[in-house]
Amino acid sequence: MDDHFIEMRSLIKVYPPDTLALDRVDLDIREGEIHSVIGENGAGKSTLMKVLYGMIPTSSGEISFRGRRVRYASPREAVAAGIGMVHQEFMLVPSYTIYENVILGAEPVGRLGALRNAEARRRVRSLIDRYGLNLNIDDRVRDTSVGAQQKVEILKLLYRDVDVLIMDEPTAVLTPQETGELFRRLRDLNAAGKTIIFISHKLDEVLELSDTITVMRRGRRVTTTENRGLGKADLARAMVGRDVVFSVEKPPARCGDVVFEARGLSYVDAGGRQRLDKVSLAVRRGEIVGIAGVEGNGQFELVQLVTGLAPVQSGQVKICGRDVARASVIERRKLMCYVPQDRKASGSAQKMSLTDNSIMTHHRLNQQLESGWRALLSPGKSRRFAQNLVDTFGVLAPSVDAPISSLSGGNQQKVVVGREFLFGADFVLLDQPTRGVDVGSVEFIQREIIRKRGSVGGSAGEGAGVPSAGCLLISADLDELFSLADRILVMHRGRIVADLAPPDTTREEVGEYMLGVREPQTIAPTGAGSGACAGAGACAGAGEGAPAR
Amino acid sequence: MHLVIEMLRSSVLAATPVLLAGLGGTYTYYANVFNIAMEGMMLIGAFTAVAGSYLAGSWVVGMFAGVAGGLAAALVFAVFAVYLKTDEFVTGTAINMLALGGTTYALRQMFRVKGAFMSPMIRAIPRVHIPLVGALPGIGPAVSGHPFLVYVTLALAILIEWHIYRTRYGLRLRAAGEDPRAVDSVGVSSDRIRAQAILISGALCGLAGVYLSLGYVTLFAENMSNGRGWIALAVIILTRGRPLGLLTMSLVFGFFDGLGLSLQSTRIPPQLTQMVPYIATIAALYLYSREKRGAPLGKVESDTVGKDPGM
Repeated sequence: MDDHFIEMRSLIKVYPPDTLALDRVDLDIREGEIHSVIGENGAGKSTLMKVLYGMIPTSSGEISFRGRRVRYASPREAVAAGIGMVHQEFMLVPSYTIYENVILGAEPVGRLGALRNAEARRRVRSLIDRYGLNLNIDDRVRDTSVGAQQKVEILKLLYRDVDVLIMDEPTAVLTPQETGELFRRLRDLNAAGKTIIFISHKLDEVLELSDTITVMRRGRRVTTTENRGLGKADLARAMVGRDVVFSVEKPPARCGDVVFEARGLSYVDAGGRQRLDKVSLAVRRGEIVGIAGVEGNGQFELVQLVTGLAPVQSGQVKICGRDVARASVIERRKLMCYVPQDRKASGSAQKMSLTDNSIMTHHRLNQQLESGWRALLSPGKSRRFAQNLVDTFGVLAPSVDAPISSLSGGNQQKVVVGREFLFGADFVLLDQPTRGVDVGSVEFIQREIIRKRGSVGGSAGEGAGVPSAGCLLISADLDELFSLADRILVMHRGRIVADLAPPDTTREEVGEYMLGVREPQTIAPTGAGSGACAGAGACAGAGEGAPAR
Repeated sequence: MHLVIEMLRSSVLAATPVLLAGLGGTYTYYANVFNIAMEGMMLIGAFTAVAGSYLAGSWVVGMFAGVAGGLAAALVFAVFAVYLKTDEFVTGTAINMLALGGTTYALRQMFRVKGAFMSPMIRAIPRVHIPLVGALPGIGPAVSGHPFLVYVTLALAILIEWHIYRTRYGLRLRAAGEDPRAVDSVGVSSDRIRAQAILISGALCGLAGVYLSLGYVTLFAENMSNGRGWIALAVIILTRGRPLGLLTMSLVFGFFDGLGLSLQSTRIPPQLTQMVPYIATIAALYLYSREKRGAPLGKVESDTVGKDPGM
């Protein structure tokens, strides 16, 4: 092996005014290895790779490739030199075929700029065969799965003859089966001589795949070691700088009455596509019902129908026994807490202050925020409300008057979750509550969710003052579903195809339902009840007229 | 019979400027630039064409001046909309207003006339008489004897169809319009493609102006583009930028334009006959949109649902 393949020396990257993204990082990558770089969000691993790839300039330090000093001014130069990167977000043109996407920017042309496809098509096909990518080059990208799109991104780089493949969190969007497939392809590529740099924060994957592991924390390289006899705990400690608990403590579920019920919900979108197909499910007080599924299989529409952002076409939606299918958004919000999936677009107003963001919706429902005059908000009471939220939910913020965009992603999310949980409604709808949030905040938010679920009768010591609620949790993160949910429903093509109880199921089984390789289960129309809650008390209509706060 | 031939002839003549501008707008349509400045580009082109032809006494100079006029307006649009990231709608509106005010002002300052400038010194672009076909009774007069730009425009429609769907530039252009990041990520500047598309549309709109002031008629009149740039925009959106579809729809517009002119000889008030092509455009837009919207459930109102969850 060549010991002078990629060498990075004291790389420093400062984002003005004073964010140190990379702090004197040295890193060697050897030719032909699979080298993982792991760290929490914001540890600098992506920044480091973007510097290598010519996407962002360094403040100081040097990089050499094959013994020669290099500084790529753009990704194009890096690719020409043989270094390619697959981003987390795919850079593909949806209406183009796979072939067109692959050649875009490096098109084979004849006279007058006319495309000469025959030879290039043969070449793309032979690359697909050689690396077992299993793609049809005339499929349109928008019709292919996420896993296939990722392979198209890899294919784009292979077509440009790169020797080094940088994969930025490639498994974040994949199902377990697709992840397995990706790893086999990466090993094949590695066996064919390609060097692979794998960025991740998932410890199991890194341990499974890599020859060498580099751990980064807060812009510094903590350690680089051969992957021999390492354990998860070692890596986690290096990553976070302290011991991390891997499973969230959760008392057994004790379910009460039904707080949320959907019956036969169907939805056809403006393009005539059936997005939801007779979805029925129920959530009971004291349980967390998880919804798994590949993105775009109806979860989005389900949330829209439940929150009232889209009209119910057919079927019923009941919250606390009340039929809300025709109710306005604000009427529904009196009955539910809702954490939307996109913190920036719908969870918060980025330019407004922490106070303004904390009182959103409360300003309509909570009369205690009013000044003496009706319909006028009291600034003082609002600020105190925000301060209370900050204290209760451990939000790190300079002040409640600071714009919410000045907070880190994790703290912003705590504000959103805190605001919603302060409603005290009996039904909680959580749509990707921990997406894009640092490990510490994930832990905190997950604990809060479990506290919110509580247990009926307040018998568990700490939850004494917290009334228990029923939670519907939509998540793309199977780990999260397995650690939080009492039941996991799997959605595929707008239908609920499985109702599973976590202790009795595996990630692989859930993954097979997600991909539609397993025959759908037949599910009782009420949707209530595999495993966890069987035998729990009768679902009396006690939810009727439950107070909004 | 004579009437039919005459209608056909006037359809072709009236369709040409809309088609030329529309072909230019096709580029910006695919680059996802909302190009409402076509009207202004066309008007400026028409003015500079007349000015060039009159001052140099040559239609060739006039034609180049017209294209240059359209290009100059497009350059301003491109710099503001692409590089300075100003709003396309506001920038385009500004250019249209500048074009109307500017050409009217220049007309009065340079030629000391109000309304319209006519002079035997303005050299029109030559007409082409197709041998044999032109001699045929009936269709001969309909297809022969037009200003040569009419035939150039037809050829351009085919050429541009090829350019957009069969070449490297076309592939990049359409990709830049759909997902600029995908284009940038493979090392091709999407801004540059967008700027190029605007310049191409400027040149073709300028040429449409040349046709108006040196071909269709031989004069310059205030606001002589008279909404044809807008009609072109509507036609592009209607046909989703397919050049050959554009050809058909432009002829339809040309037909109604000609019909309006023919109706002037009747007792219908001219204010109404002049409305005919525009009413036809609105009707076409309505019919087309209704067809496109024929979704099974009919009344699905929300457009937030069904899109990808994405951002």
